[in-house]
Amino acid sequence: MLGKLIKYDLKATAKVFLLLHIVYFIICLASRFLFMDRLDFNGDKDLLLAQIIVFSSAMLILFVLVNSGTWLLFTVRFYRNLFSKEGYLTWTLPASGVQHLWAKIISGWILYAVDVIVLSAGIVLLVTGQNVTDAYAAVAAEVTAEFGMPISTFGIYMFVLSFLSGICAVISSYFCVAAGQLFPSHRVIGAVAVYFITSACVQVLTMLILAASGHFSSDYFAGVTAGEGRSVVGYLFEGLWGSILLMFAIAAVQYAVMHFIMKKKINLI
Amino acid sequence: MRPILECQQLTKKYGNFFALSNLNIALDRGQIIGLLGPNGSGKTTLIKLINGLLVPSEGHIMINGMAPGVESKRIVSYLPDRNYLNSSMRVEELLSFYVDFYDNFSMERASKMLDALEIDRRARLHTLSKGTAEKVQLILVMSRDAELYVLDEPIGGVDPAARDYILQTILTNYSENASVLISTHLIAEIENVLDRVIFLQNGQISLNATVDEIRTEYGKSVDTLFREVFRC
Repeated sequence: MLGKLIKYDLKATAKVFLLLHIVYFIICLASRFLFMDRLDFNGDKDLLLAQIIVFSSAMLILFVLVNSGTWLLFTVRFYRNLFSKEGYLTWTLPASGVQHLWAKIISGWILYAVDVIVLSAGIVLLVTGQNVTDAYAAVAAEVTAEFGMPISTFGIYMFVLSFLSGICAVISSYFCVAAGQLFPSHRVIGAVAVYFITSACVQVLTMLILAASGHFSSDYFAGVTAGEGRSVVGYLFEGLWGSILLMFAIAAVQYAVMHFIMKKKINLI
Repeated sequence: MRPILECQQLTKKYGNFFALSNLNIALDRGQIIGLLGPNGSGKTTLIKLINGLLVPSEGHIMINGMAPGVESKRIVSYLPDRNYLNSSMRVEELLSFYVDFYDNFSMERASKMLDALEIDRRARLHTLSKGTAEKVQLILVMSRDAELYVLDEPIGGVDPAARDYILQTILTNYSENASVLISTHLIAEIENVLDRVIFLQNGQISLNATVDEIRTEYGKSVDTLFREVFRC
């Protein structure tokens, strides 16, 4: 039953998802051959810098749009399929609430993971031209020293972290939607309000934990320079592991609340 | 044989408002039952409880001796009072969906009905007229070999000619082992197919009798009695 539910979730979102990512990949492909491969790293530095800033900003907006599009796809699917009129069919299928919940989490995470893979592939495509790799080789040692690891390793870390944190992002989005439907006449506003309240609480909690663990003391920052003590990335990763643990702990709580709502508090309009 | 539907002291509260209060019913198999009552009488709440879309505040509801859950959903076929299907899906995709999820769905029966009504299987639901879309929904629901069919306003949005077809569909597709619970305001239209009626008022049963009993005891049709009982 779980497999069938996942199949229909993926089927319902496949068309838009594919279109979004094919367009993204075509843009990356075109950018690689029409822009990146033509960059002259030995030319005018100011012009080069301006070109890179404008292009990076445009690509960043594209990444955010594609990523947000994916997030919207699985979040809207969750809402429509379970809490709108479609819920009258979904909730009367011979499947338990837990199966529905896991089907949505797994299908959402699959979309999120494929999104991360395609976004990463696009980035790799953009930066693997001969001119870029040659230019990077000249500063590779400096960057490696600053980061405390080769940039490729850093990239792999980021990829894996994005991949894993996806499950928390999916659960968190679903939690907001599920909690929002506790306000029958303002479900969408309720979901948005829950999102902001949850985010604010998480921020405060993170700050408190960081402060309690001494991350804000001046001593802590001492030595965070290239080649002396901890590297910049080393510092970032120390905080990051804590954040990930916190993120998973919050996701576990959100899952438990969502489980309760879906078992006891479903009230379709 | 065990009743197909049993409610014991069934109560559903929304805050301080009692949508259903201490409801006791036992429905036998092989009947078509009209669930009748004015707006806000608790019909939809009862239907949602049967389908596990709501959880009782107090009391119990049992379908074939089981609390609403995965097993009861296998034997209950529910037609909500609204368009509940994904309107971007094609009719043939909806058929596949029902085949995938319901072991008791008969593709042959559904195909026969779709052909009789000349409904294009390739058509997407949103391209069909409101009446045709409702017919598709009813066909999907009645093509299951369920033990309890719960139909919420099945003839509300269709023309009189289609109503006859729908009522005929209901009559021909339920077996002796199954029961049909129909909630509607169009009592005169369905009166002739009903075996029993339940009048709900303010979340409580005000009448639970067979249609024959109503005719002999009150000397009135169900429609006339309803208008008298619920006169505004």
